[in-house]
Amino acid sequence: MTKKEKKLNLSITNPRVFDAVKLLCALLIALVITFLVLCLISKNPVKAFFTILTGPLSKRRYFGAVIESFIPYAFAGLAAGILFKSGAFNLGAEGIYIISGVSVAAVACSSITTSGFLHPILCVLAAAVTGGVLMIIPSFLKAKFGTNEMVVSLMLNSIYLGISMYLIRTFLLTKTTSTIGSKDYLPTAKIKYLYEPLRISPAFILLIIVTIVLYLVMFKTKLGYQMRLAGANPKFAEYSGISAFKLAIITAAMAGVLAGTGSAIQLLTQSSFYQPDKTATGIGFSGMLLAMLGRNNPIGIVVASFLIKYLEQGASVLYFSDTSVPSEIVAIVEGIIILLISSQYFLRGFREKMLLKEGLKKDAK
Amino acid sequence: MLSSIFSSLFTMNFLLTAIRLATPILFASIAAFITASAGIVNIAVESIMTFGALAGILGSYATGSAWLGLMIGLVVGVGVALLIAFFSMKLGADPILIGIALNTFADSLAIFFLYLVTGEKGTSASLHTPTLSKVTIPFIEKIPFFGKILSGQYVLTYVCWILLIILFIMLYKTPLGMRLRACGLNSDAAKTAGINVRRIQIFSLILSGFFAALGGMYLSLNSIHLFSKGMVSGQGWMGIAANGISGGRYGTLLLSAFIFAVFRAFSIIFSQSTIFPVDLVGAVPYFAVFFFVTISSILNYLRIKRGNVEEK
Repeated sequence: MTKKEKKLNLSITNPRVFDAVKLLCALLIALVITFLVLCLISKNPVKAFFTILTGPLSKRRYFGAVIESFIPYAFAGLAAGILFKSGAFNLGAEGIYIISGVSVAAVACSSITTSGFLHPILCVLAAAVTGGVLMIIPSFLKAKFGTNEMVVSLMLNSIYLGISMYLIRTFLLTKTTSTIGSKDYLPTAKIKYLYEPLRISPAFILLIIVTIVLYLVMFKTKLGYQMRLAGANPKFAEYSGISAFKLAIITAAMAGVLAGTGSAIQLLTQSSFYQPDKTATGIGFSGMLLAMLGRNNPIGIVVASFLIKYLEQGASVLYFSDTSVPSEIVAIVEGIIILLISSQYFLRGFREKMLLKEGLKKDAK
Repeated sequence: MLSSIFSSLFTMNFLLTAIRLATPILFASIAAFITASAGIVNIAVESIMTFGALAGILGSYATGSAWLGLMIGLVVGVGVALLIAFFSMKLGADPILIGIALNTFADSLAIFFLYLVTGEKGTSASLHTPTLSKVTIPFIEKIPFFGKILSGQYVLTYVCWILLIILFIMLYKTPLGMRLRACGLNSDAAKTAGINVRRIQIFSLILSGFFAALGGMYLSLNSIHLFSKGMVSGQGWMGIAANGISGGRYGTLLLSAFIFAVFRAFSIIFSQSTIFPVDLVGAVPYFAVFFFVTISSILNYLRIKRGNVEEK
């Protein structure tokens, strides 16, 4: 590669720059539409709009809540991201979050160790193993028999919820509340903060490490290359000697471990006892949207998770003062951005025009 | 106790429950079937059902007429289908990703609109909405056995049955249906034969949205006449599963949809007793779908392995 080519190319014709521009346009359109929606439903749309955007910064504990609560979502996003990237539409993360919670609750409620350091680690390990094993089922069926993995994984989500409810009700039920919930976790199982005011915990550090490792695996290793190849062109991957079966199992196991870990973090930071139909629901599904937002890139996914959680916190800050705007408004932002950035042809005409211009310029030279 | 439950499975009541539960799954299954026949995937059936269910309720609340509400629900369902068509065909997005996204944020979006109208996030119970009634057909209702099945169903159930017949005729007895299936079997050949593949596929998506919205409104506009969060609860996916099992055979499609409904009926009847754990009984229909989809794919795999059929 010559020196000249290495120079940073900032013109719109560079695919990376184009992707960034596309993302910004999508973001802008989503914000404009959100503002228009706010105009329709809120008496003070300008104030509402700015509260959503800046609300989490107004108090330290709001921002701390974002930092703490986005971690399980980021793990769900990472799990969905590696599945999507390798072309697998296994939607099982939701169920993994729910049933791994049972493992977490079982370990967290037992006095297996008295060490406040070891106990959370054991909880995370239990959840990761549960997730890793169970996530394989739909991918195995798909790789071996060609089963529709979307249907199978979604059905498993509902089945896992039933099983989790049953297990909690039979073995870990608390007598104190009327809803189905486990006993309180032992105090040693809680994840302690490293920096209390911003609620930074070891889970945050773990997320950063996992993201970097995943990024390296994805883009710098043979396994990652095979995964991306299988996602981009499964036939070609097969002909170049990649075992689709092995790859599907490895990817699913990795995604399951990630989802299980996320579930453990959700339970140990956001709850003091486990309710299968409340504590960790919806995260696995959100993870799929976050994976799409982050374009299946680990770093993108973590950034997207943070931003979406930030907006959700902003929307709930707004809800304190202005109840005319439900916090679900963030779903609109999310939906519009996803639809636009997953559209290949969005802004393509514009880019082609620019390419043509550039080409003509070169010809003139 | 156990025997009394098992005997209750062989009663008229059980059959009627199954038929009642079959309607939305049948709608969902034909919604999935029609697009699959035309060679595109629409996995957003679940979300269209949710939007349809909500729009039907809000529409009938706003207009004061269940029939007008039904029309509004249909418009919304077809609108979502057109949205999918626009993004997947015009803007080149992956229809599966679009479907996953729609299914995932359908609930949030539905709650958003529900909250704007009712100020509640759970159900639309606070709205007084007119509903579609049951229909009794004179003379027929007096026929023993069949009278109870053929008469006294909800309007949308009859609509469903009629649509099943019309769809069959359209798909298998008309040139349009033949063209539609040709797009699914081999779109290149269809194009060569002068068929406008894209137009046919958009047509099938519109029909799919129409059917799915009807399925959703069967849930909201009938007996319980309210919309509640998560009320579709996987029935759209059951339709997609039925389509997967059918392998393009119409009879198998309807049969599998009905079998799923039977398992839902099982689950409802068993959950009223205390001998089985209620949580596990609730998961039975999903397990049935899981089981049948897996078995059918294994059988298919074995058949291909034996070399009797060419891989599709």
